[in-house]
Amino acid sequence: MRKYILIVFIVLLLCPGLSFGITAREIMAKSQEAFLYPGKDMKIRVEMRLISSSGKVRLRELTMLRKNFGPPGGQQKYFIYFHRPADVKGMTFMVYKYPQRDDDRWLFIPALNMVRRIAARDKTSSFVGSDFTYEDVSGRDIDDDRHDLVKEESVDGRDCFVVKSIPKKQDVNYSYKLSWIDKESFLPLKEEYYDLSGNLYRVFTAEEIKDIQGIPTVTKRRMRNVQSGHQTEVVFKEVSYDIGLTDRLFTERFLKMPPRRWIK
Amino acid sequence: MIIEFSLKRPRTVIFITLIITIIFASQFPKVRIDTDPENMLSPDEPVRVFHNQVKKEFGINEMIVLGIVRDDGIFNPDTLKKISEITDRVKRIKGVVADDIVSLSATNNVIARDGTLIVRPPLQRIPQGPEDVERLKREVLDNPLFRDRLVSSDGKGAAIYIPIVSKEIAHEVGEEIRRIYSSMKGPERYYMAGLPLAEDTFGAEMFKQMAIVAPLAGGLLMILLWFMFRRLTLVLPAMVVAMLSVLWTMGAMIGMGFTVHIMSSMIPVFLMPIAVCDSVHVLSDFYEKYPRLKDKARVLREVFGELFKPMLYTSLTTAVGFANLAWAKIPPVRVFGLFVALGVMFAWLLTITLVPASLMLINPRRLEEIKGRNEKSRLLSAFTRLSVKRSRLVVTTGVLLLAVAIYGVTTLRVNDNPVKWFKKDHPIRVADTVLNRIIGGTYISYLIFEGKDADSIKEPQVVKYIEALQKYLAEHHLVGKTTSVADVIKRINYVLHDEDKEFNKIPDRKETIGQYLFLLLMSSKPDELDNLVDYDFRKANVWVQLRSGDNRDMTAVVESVSKYIKENPLPEGVKIQWSGLPYLNIVWQKLMVKGMLKATVGSYWVVFILLLIQFRSFWWAIISMLPLTFSIVFSYGIIGFAGKDYDMPIAVCSTLTLGLGIDFAIHFCQRFRQRYLKTGSYRDSLLWTTEGEPTIAIARNAIVVGLGFLPLVLATLTPYITVGLFFGSLALFAGLTTIFYLPSLVEIFKGRLA
Repeated sequence: MRKYILIVFIVLLLCPGLSFGITAREIMAKSQEAFLYPGKDMKIRVEMRLISSSGKVRLRELTMLRKNFGPPGGQQKYFIYFHRPADVKGMTFMVYKYPQRDDDRWLFIPALNMVRRIAARDKTSSFVGSDFTYEDVSGRDIDDDRHDLVKEESVDGRDCFVVKSIPKKQDVNYSYKLSWIDKESFLPLKEEYYDLSGNLYRVFTAEEIKDIQGIPTVTKRRMRNVQSGHQTEVVFKEVSYDIGLTDRLFTERFLKMPPRRWIK
Repeated sequence: MIIEFSLKRPRTVIFITLIITIIFASQFPKVRIDTDPENMLSPDEPVRVFHNQVKKEFGINEMIVLGIVRDDGIFNPDTLKKISEITDRVKRIKGVVADDIVSLSATNNVIARDGTLIVRPPLQRIPQGPEDVERLKREVLDNPLFRDRLVSSDGKGAAIYIPIVSKEIAHEVGEEIRRIYSSMKGPERYYMAGLPLAEDTFGAEMFKQMAIVAPLAGGLLMILLWFMFRRLTLVLPAMVVAMLSVLWTMGAMIGMGFTVHIMSSMIPVFLMPIAVCDSVHVLSDFYEKYPRLKDKARVLREVFGELFKPMLYTSLTTAVGFANLAWAKIPPVRVFGLFVALGVMFAWLLTITLVPASLMLINPRRLEEIKGRNEKSRLLSAFTRLSVKRSRLVVTTGVLLLAVAIYGVTTLRVNDNPVKWFKKDHPIRVADTVLNRIIGGTYISYLIFEGKDADSIKEPQVVKYIEALQKYLAEHHLVGKTTSVADVIKRINYVLHDEDKEFNKIPDRKETIGQYLFLLLMSSKPDELDNLVDYDFRKANVWVQLRSGDNRDMTAVVESVSKYIKENPLPEGVKIQWSGLPYLNIVWQKLMVKGMLKATVGSYWVVFILLLIQFRSFWWAIISMLPLTFSIVFSYGIIGFAGKDYDMPIAVCSTLTLGLGIDFAIHFCQRFRQRYLKTGSYRDSLLWTTEGEPTIAIARNAIVVGLGFLPLVLATLTPYITVGLFFGSLALFAGLTTIFYLPSLVEIFKGRLA
């Protein structure tokens, strides 16, 4: 009898996924919390480089304010202010993200002094013209996918769970996604998206992780469309958590007149 | 000496020939085929370099255009569903640039509904009720970015533009697309067009055609020879010479690593009739002399004694004429010229070795029935009498006819259109006609605006200039549709101002334009605008769709744009440059026509110099050149009168005329002079040459060559038909002038020629 317990114990040791007693769904939920919902709110200065297949670069610089409403996986509001390119300085963009329905999005066009609602076509459409989608930035409902723990593997010397997520409904432009989730921080270190014909088409890599106010944060990331050769590199230049953003900020009024306090 | 050897050791000669043949034939498995007409230009030709650069910078690819036509209109849920389904399935074809497909269900439109800005394809979902359909119809037909490009104004036709990664796979992808729409049932008709498809399909069909036509030409040659000699044993050596020279030449070409291109695929058909010419002379002479002497070796010695020199010279002039093409700037033409030259010399070598060797091996009994004719032909005698007795009349008539033909040449129109390389009832031709009637044109060329700095294109004056030029082009009857970033900017301005017509224009401030474009990029995919502007907004790309692929028409459009720019100067620091396949074709045509003309004129002089050396007489050289000159001018005159365009195939032909046209005259003059030296009697020599074996052989050759090209007429591709007719007429003219006109000239100028 003791022999059997020993065998079970060894088997459990050999399968850390099981030994942690953690399911693929739980891994993804924890990862979402660590990656997309850290802190109560957050302010970042972002440099975004859109790089064409021939190596030409479009630079975008923006400040992003984000506030969580409710628990991880719940509602979020984003406020984005563009500093560069020069001719769009002052453009602002606001997104209300809801877990179970389409986003609300607004855009302020300074040249016309006009705020316009923009239709959220689908969550897999491009985020501000980059290779990232809205989903990549604000997340996808955990229960929209079926998650399977495929294997464990190390990425750059860090042990990872590899989770395969298959969308339950055909409402996205990929057939499945593989995520390499760091066992320690639960941050995704790598993701691979496969298109509807099963070919690899987008690859996400976390290239720099820093500890900010005790929160491990991916400060440099890249999304590469391996089929078109286009890629987007995102660098967080300044990050601060829990700065006390007010609810009032996320309104049309402030889109037109962004508060100097938050946006320099 | 070679001939003596062949007569004494026929078996050795045949054995050696066999070995060489095996060596050349063993090269065939290495064959590489190149069907891209673009390769007519060197890869470093500036226009090609620019074309490729534009393609890369703007993410532009060659386009196949698929048209969907339904007589009662495409705006019904059923047809719309098919368009969407075809688009989805085409996206999955290997080699299709899925992200850049332009289709009702793939290309974004900007609209405003209930105050919300929506960026999505008009056919994102299939409309169900009649109101839904009506709304879609209005959205599309009111929008200049879609009307006449994706849907015809009358709503009966829709188009899908399918970009492919490279032109070489156009035919293959086209077949995949055909499979997709063939599986759709319903009243819709489908048409597929586009220059890359035409060019690649031409390449694919070309080889099929050659596989049918070359053996046909060979077969016909054999039948013609049989009618002349009525002895298979005599026909066979000539045929073997033709086959082996083709085989050796192609083997050598493939073995040296050259690709088989459109030009070189024609080598067999060209070489065969030229290759048998010498053998026909030998056999003709043998046939006439054998009944008298009844000794094969003696007959052959006599035959070669007479023919060796003229054969060597005709082969040399032909070879040099072709080899002169090596100076052309067009790589495939160079290869073609050099290898046909080589083939001609192979044929000569085989004629003086293999032909006597195989004749030696023929059982004498089989030759007993040869009667030989009276050495005279009644028809030819009648000709001769007329041309010698009425020499002045004949020469004057000839000169007059020449003048008329020269007028015909001046009416020649240089033009080409790869789509017209197909017959009128070919699916590609039909699709081309239909699609160019319903949408703005399947011939897509690009006009590039290039500013000095990044963001130059966002300057209102630049965008407004582009808009004005587009308006001007829209008036041009050859231009079906233009599309540019100006259309996009106007559209956004209009939509943001709640579709107020007042705002259907370019904004006056650079920031506004910048923010509009940013707005669009923010709400769509990263490469949304890539087909219209480059990455840092330094260049804009205006799509100019033409309804006709004629180079002449593209040239007219290019010229009218130049004129516009002269009258309305471009904004400071902005340059323009054309690109795209239709434009590439006109540059290519210019090079081709100029190159071919230069090569032909060059060869003409080289041949003249060779003749001077051979005859050591200025006047004989001139006289020998005349039949050639006549036949060239007559052949082109006929093309001019017939209103046929001087296109690529005709340009190629022009370089080949020399090789064919000169032979008859050389034979005539050389043998006349030989006879004259022997007998010293001018009249006897003229009669002997004109009525006897030399002219019979020339007439036979004229018939062999003239009719030998006829099988080309059966081809389904028009260039082959053109080449066939052209060479037929050329050989007949050259034969006629030699037989009929040369004697008159000799008669008139006998004082100078003696």
